This record gives sequence, structure tokens and C-alpha cells, in this order.
Amino acid sequence: MTDIPPREPRAQLLPVPRSALLVWLNLAAALTVAAIGLGVGFAQGIKAQLVILYTVISVAVLLWLLNYVTTIFESRSAASAAPSDARGVWRANRVMIIAMVALLIVYLLVTASVPAFRSVTNLIAFLVLEAILLFAFKVSGRFATGRSAFIGIMVLVALVVISSFTIEGFLSGSNVKAILLFAAFLGIACIGQTLVALMGGLDLSIPFVIGSANVGMLFLTTLGVPSFVAFGFVLILGGLIGLLNGVLSYKLQGQALILTLGMGFAVAGLTQILTSIGSSFAGNVFGTVPSWLSNLAAMNGRTFGLAFPPTILIWIVLAVIVIIGLRYSAYGRYVYALGGNRRSARLVGVSEFRYWTLAYVLSGVFAALTGCLLLGWSGGGFIGVGDPFLFTTLAAVVIGGTSLLGGAGGYGFTVIGVLVLQVLTSFLLGIGLRYEWQQFIFGLLILPMVALYGRSPHIRATV
Amino acid sequence: MAERASSSSTYLLVPILLIAVLLGTAVIRGPNLVSLSGFGSAIIVAAPLILATYALMALAVAGRGTVDLAMGPLVAFINVSVVKLNMLGIISGPFGTFLVALGLGVLYQLAFALIVIWVRVQPIIVALSGFLALTGINLVILPRPGGMAPEFMSSWGLGTTIFSPVLLILVIATGGWLLFTLTPFYANLRMMGYDERAAWTSGVRINIVRVGAHVIAGLFAGLAALCYTALIASGDPSQGTNLTLTAVTALVLGGVSLAGGRGGVTGALLGALNLWLIGYVLATFNFGAIQAFVTQMSYGIILVLSLLLTLLVPVLSRHISFISPWSAFVVLGAVVAAIMLHVATADTYLAPESVPAAAQGPLLDRYFLTAPAGGAEPGLVLSPIQRMAFFAALAAVVLTFAARLTQAEAPARRMGLFLYLFVAALVLALFALIAMQGQVTLFSGGTP
Repeated sequence: MTDIPPREPRAQLLPVPRSALLVWLNLAAALTVAAIGLGVGFAQGIKAQLVILYTVISVAVLLWLLNYVTTIFESRSAASAAPSDARGVWRANRVMIIAMVALLIVYLLVTASVPAFRSVTNLIAFLVLEAILLFAFKVSGRFATGRSAFIGIMVLVALVVISSFTIEGFLSGSNVKAILLFAAFLGIACIGQTLVALMGGLDLSIPFVIGSANVGMLFLTTLGVPSFVAFGFVLILGGLIGLLNGVLSYKLQGQALILTLGMGFAVAGLTQILTSIGSSFAGNVFGTVPSWLSNLAAMNGRTFGLAFPPTILIWIVLAVIVIIGLRYSAYGRYVYALGGNRRSARLVGVSEFRYWTLAYVLSGVFAALTGCLLLGWSGGGFIGVGDPFLFTTLAAVVIGGTSLLGGAGGYGFTVIGVLVLQVLTSFLLGIGLRYEWQQFIFGLLILPMVALYGRSPHIRATV
Repeated sequence: MAERASSSSTYLLVPILLIAVLLGTAVIRGPNLVSLSGFGSAIIVAAPLILATYALMALAVAGRGTVDLAMGPLVAFINVSVVKLNMLGIISGPFGTFLVALGLGVLYQLAFALIVIWVRVQPIIVALSGFLALTGINLVILPRPGGMAPEFMSSWGLGTTIFSPVLLILVIATGGWLLFTLTPFYANLRMMGYDERAAWTSGVRINIVRVGAHVIAGLFAGLAALCYTALIASGDPSQGTNLTLTAVTALVLGGVSLAGGRGGVTGALLGALNLWLIGYVLATFNFGAIQAFVTQMSYGIILVLSLLLTLLVPVLSRHISFISPWSAFVVLGAVVAAIMLHVATADTYLAPESVPAAAQGPLLDRYFLTAPAGGAEPGLVLSPIQRMAFFAALAAVVLTFAARLTQAEAPARRMGLFLYLFVAALVLALFALIAMQGQVTLFSGGTP
């Protein structure tokens, strides 16, 4: 500690940490990264001038960024200086140290035993993972809110970096388009799940509504109903299912999980009976998808002449509306109020029933919309099209950081969760993992993500 | 006294009523059920579902809204592991197989419990995580249904007799839980499920209790997987989701509270049996290509309805407190037993006509073509033995009912009892009249 009075760190153009150790640490980190970049650049056979240029730029930017971050946190942590002896450090950071050492051991073991594993990209992946751990434990704890978003964004960035190193053509236009398109499907389906989760509920009927809308929409158009009318009708039906979900689950407090599951079963069964009652091809509907719908969602769709499907634009618009609506509108604030503390919200005069039901109605409508869009994407009706959404909607909401107990989170977090899931899927596909391994990894990923920020208090804190 | 007895388990009334109705319908629609092989195969087919429901029940009682959605994938995981180990020739003996199955179940549930306790994540998230991970790894272990169950299991799944090893497993599991309810550990478990904070403040070591509940659930899951392996005699990685959904439905149908603290092996057993019977009854109708959808829809509707019925339980218990679930069980059981007896002994049924491949008739005729049992020409002709059994059952019903009424109404000193008895006598007279008349058909329509 020097005797210089604390300055306002944000005002500086070139921030320099007060502790000399931190300066050297930042410099070392920046140079290490630059060295790795240099090596990789030469290994890939890029022109030497370009490599040097990129290295210089990256060192400068990284150093500035590191210094900026450290000055902010340095001034903040000055008040609460931790005991600096070895025991104190160990006690404060044991989880992180154990995790990092475990990762290191795993990496070394795999490297030693599998010759094919020894490559620069894997080394980078390993370093990035360690950095994520470090950041997740040390930095995210300093955020009062939005820890999950910070971690989510970091994981996203790390995934993109690792994938673009590892997989040929990961950042190509078509791949990005595909990632965004699937993220849009998942994201639209997640709107309802997020709203419902914010109030402490769950909606497991989403996949069944998606499948039913998918089949029902095609069936109606095949019957000769004008496609726009059919589209609106399906959305309204989705809303009605949501209404039923909402009313019943409100009456049955705390049983939303089972109730929506049962409703989903009933809806999917009923749709299939209605659509295939006279036909011999049960469960499948054949027909032609209206062209506007396939343009809306197919990979080669065009938005105002631009070469990306309008579904992505729809998702972005919806996301903006939902995020802003949740933050600024009375509806959004009441949703948070009810999710946070139901009793006090009721005492303030918020109609619990109305907001609860409305959340479920929206969930049904957006699930139906996803089903219709998926019809446009696939070009054929299939009841099972929604099945993957049974748990991925939940997973996206949870990974994003919306608490399933209600009151905390938001759709912005879910967007991050959706993107993480989709980029991870694309990455796992790219390195040649099969679907079942992807699922396995998703399952294992959810727990640590939630454990970082979604822990409930110890029971002695609640008595 | 009667009030306390009834209010603690009034929730069982709904499943009992449902099972009586379903069993009656099932026996009338498909008389083959009432035979040695019928019961035997029923036990074999229903056992995995029953045991999986037990496992979910043990967790639900522990509270915190623990619904292990991964139960189905867990059963499938143990199933494919056992089959894979058998195929590789590593473990094929009964002892090793049991050890592996129970061990895997317990290990998984132990991990679940420790994560819930130490990491303090909501159980639903752990369940979700486990669901995805297990579903994935199942397909890795066994990419498609196939393989062979261990040799010693080959005779288990035949279902030609009632007394199979599967029944033994069921009895041991049920009896084990009933014995377990006698221990103070169970009292602690229920208390924790009902109010975790109260349990903690009164000195219950809730962490140990929670681990115990999960270990029990793991044992049940292992047994369920063994029965499942015996049933299909191979490995199937894909049926996990279905099993989860049906077991959760069965759990709710059996009146187990997902909020914790309420539930028991009786409710879970009744729920699972109900669910299986729904499938059985639906299978006796000829829905053709949409059979699976009808089953799916009815599962959903019945799940929702039974959830709604639990809303009525407080109302029911207030108004009909004199009916305890036990007496209801006896009464309805007698009625169903009478139906079964009739079906099993009366040999006057029309053989169900084989369904023509391309039925031309109207829709309803096509779907309900399978003739209902008991529509025979001479109507209800009772043999002397049947008549005796019928009246004995009837007398038992009336006696139970009257005794129950007397006991319940005794402190009230009202005359309402006579009213009930009068109605009961009227009903009895009606039954007697019908039996004497000898000209009645159970279904007036049905067969043209």
C-alpha cells in the first residue's frame, strides 16, 4: 500500500493499478496470451506481418482491459483486505483451488495417456477453462446482481473462442446463421418458461403444445383453411391451453409441474386423435407448408432481401419487447413482486390470479408460435418435434440464471442461457460428439452453473 | 377416534374408488384378467411401475418438492448396465446382478442427496441434470434396444403363474417399507418432509434423514430395474422418459403429496395399479391406429382430474368422515370380488369376435367392436355357489357399512343412522330383486 490518496479510477484514460505486483501480473498475463497467439499464428502459416500486428494489438488491448478491471476492483476491495497469510488464502479460496487443481490433473492425465490429445487448441481450451474458473470464483462474487449473466457471458465467449480454434468453419456465415436460427426457436419457446419461472411456476406442457401446434397447423392448412387464419387459430388455441394451465395450476398451488405435464399429455393425445381419426397414417400429417411460413423459418429464408430467416429477427424483436416490458412495464414489475414475495404483493393489491394466468397464457401462445415456426423449418408435421424442448427450455432458463423459485432473473438471462446451449451444441457437434454425449454433457453442465449462483440458504439461516 | 383415523388417510379414498371402478371395468371388458396367467402377467407388467412409484414416493415424503424426474432414466440406466455387463460376460449370476442393480441405484441417489445437502441446489435442478445425463449415457451404453437379460432371469418374465420371483420382490419391497414405517426414523422423515425447519429446530438430524430417504429410493429403483429387465428380457435405453411420466402420474394418482410429508406405500401401490389398469382397460377397446394416442390422452386427463380431486379431499373428509378408507376398501373390494367371481365362474360369454381388417361400419361400431363380457343370451344365471358367494359378499358389505355407521354416529345421538340403514336396506332389496329376476344384461347395447 502506498500513501497516494485513492484516485477515481474510472476517469483515467490509461488505468494503472497501485500495487506493483498487479502491474507485473497483468503484463505477464497479456504477454502469455500474446505468445500463445504468436505461436498459433505461425503454426497456421499466416503472414508474419499480420501475426505481429495482431499480437501487438492483442497485447495492448488485453493489458488495458486487465488494468481497467484490476483498478476497479482494487479500489473496491481496499476496504475489506483479507488476511494475507497462507492459511487465510487457502480457506478463502479452497473450492476454487481444488477445482483448478482437479482440472489441471485431469488435463495432465489425458495429455499423458492420449497422444492425439496433445495439441495447441486443447492447451488453449484448458487455459480458457482455468481462466473461467478463476473469473467465476473471484470476480463474479463482486457483482451484487447479474452474477449469472456475467458467468454466462464468459462461458459463451470462452465457448466461441475454443470452438473457432477447434472447428473448421465455426464462424462461417452459414454456421452462425444455423446457431442463431435454432437459438431463436428455443428462445421463443423459452419466453413463456421464463415468465412462469419468474412467478415460481413451471410449464412442462410447452413441448407438447409445440408438437400439437406443429401437427395442427399443417392439418388445418391441408383441410383448406387459409394459412393465416389457421396460424391465428393455432396461436389462440395455444393461448387457451395456457389459460387452462394457468387457472388450474393457480387452484392447485405448488403442483404446477405435474399439472402442466398432465395437460401436455392430454393436449398431445387429443391433437393426434383429432388429426388422425380417419386416416391410416396415425401420428403423421402430410401436406404442403404455406410458402410464407417456410420462408419465415427455413435456413434459406430471406428478411427484406437479406439472407437470413425472419425468425431470427422475430426473436430479437420479441426479446427486446419482453426484456423492456419486464423491466419497465407495470406487468413486469408485478411479476417480479409476486415472484419475490407473494404475500406482500397481494397486500399491495396485485391480483395474483391475473398475472399468474397471464404468464401461462403467454407461455401457451409462444409455444404454439414455436410449433408453427418449426413447421416452416422442417416442412412436415410431426408430433415429436417438441420433445427436445421438454428439458432444454428449463435448462436454458436455469443456466441463464432465472431462479425457479421465482422473483430473480429475467428474459435477458434466458437469452444468454439459450445462446450458451446452442453454441455448446454446435461445438459438440463440430468435434464429432453424438447426440447422446451432448445430452450427457448438458446434464453435467447445468449443476455447476447453478451451483455458482443459484444456491439456496442453509437451513439455519431460514429459521 | 374415527375422525382422527379417517382424516389422516382420507386421501386414499380417491385411489380406492378409482381402482374399484377400473378393476370392475377391466374384469368385465377383459375376462382373461381373472386367471392364473392373467394375474401373473399383470404382476410382471405392473411391477416396474409400482417399484418406481415407491422410489418416487420415498423421495416425495422427504419434502422440498423432490420429484426425481430422472427416475425413469435411472431405471433404464441400471437396466442397460445389467444387460451390458451380462453381454460382456462379466456379471451374470444372481448375486452380482442384484449387487450391481441395487448398488447403482443407491450410488446415484446418494450423489443426489449429497448434492442437495452440500451444494444446496433445488432438487428439481439436480433431477433435471440427472435426467439429461442419464438419458445420454444410456444411449452410449446401449445404442438401441437389444441384448440379453441374465440367464437366471429367463423364467421370471413368463407370467404363467402368480408366484413368481417378481411377486416376491414386490412383497419384500412393500413389507420392507411397512416395517420401516414402524421405526422412529420414519417419523423423523415425515416430520422433515412436512416442515423441514421445525424438524431441524427440534433436533432431527435432517441431513442423515434425507440421505436415508434417498438410499431407500435407490434400493427401490434398483429393484424396479431388475423387474423391468425381467419383463423385457433385454436392454432398452429409450423407455426412461415414459417410465418417469407414468410413475409421476401414478404417484399423484395415489394421493402422495408432492409437497412432502404425506404418502405411503399403499397410496403408491394403488396409484401404480390404477395407472396400469387404465392401460389395460383401454387396450380392450379397439382404437386401431390411434390406440397409443388415446392412452396418452387418458393418462393426461386422469392426471389432471386426480389432481383436481385432491382439492375435494378436505371437503370429502368433512362430510363423510364416517367412511374410513379401510372400510371403503373392504366394501368396494367385496363388490369387485363379486364381479370377478362372477366373471371367472360364469362360462357364458361370447368369444370376442375377431376384428375384421377393414371394418366398414360407422366409427363407433368399429372402435367398440370387441364385445363386452357378460352380454350372453340367458342373462345373469347364477349357479348355487355363485349365488351364495354373491350374497355373502353383499352381507359383508352391508355389515361393514352398518357397523362403521353405528360407530361413527354413536356419539352424535341422532336419528340419522336409521336413515342410512333404511337406504342400505333398500339397496340390498334392489340387489336381491335383480338377482332373483335372473334376466339382466350388464350392457344392454354393445353387440348387435
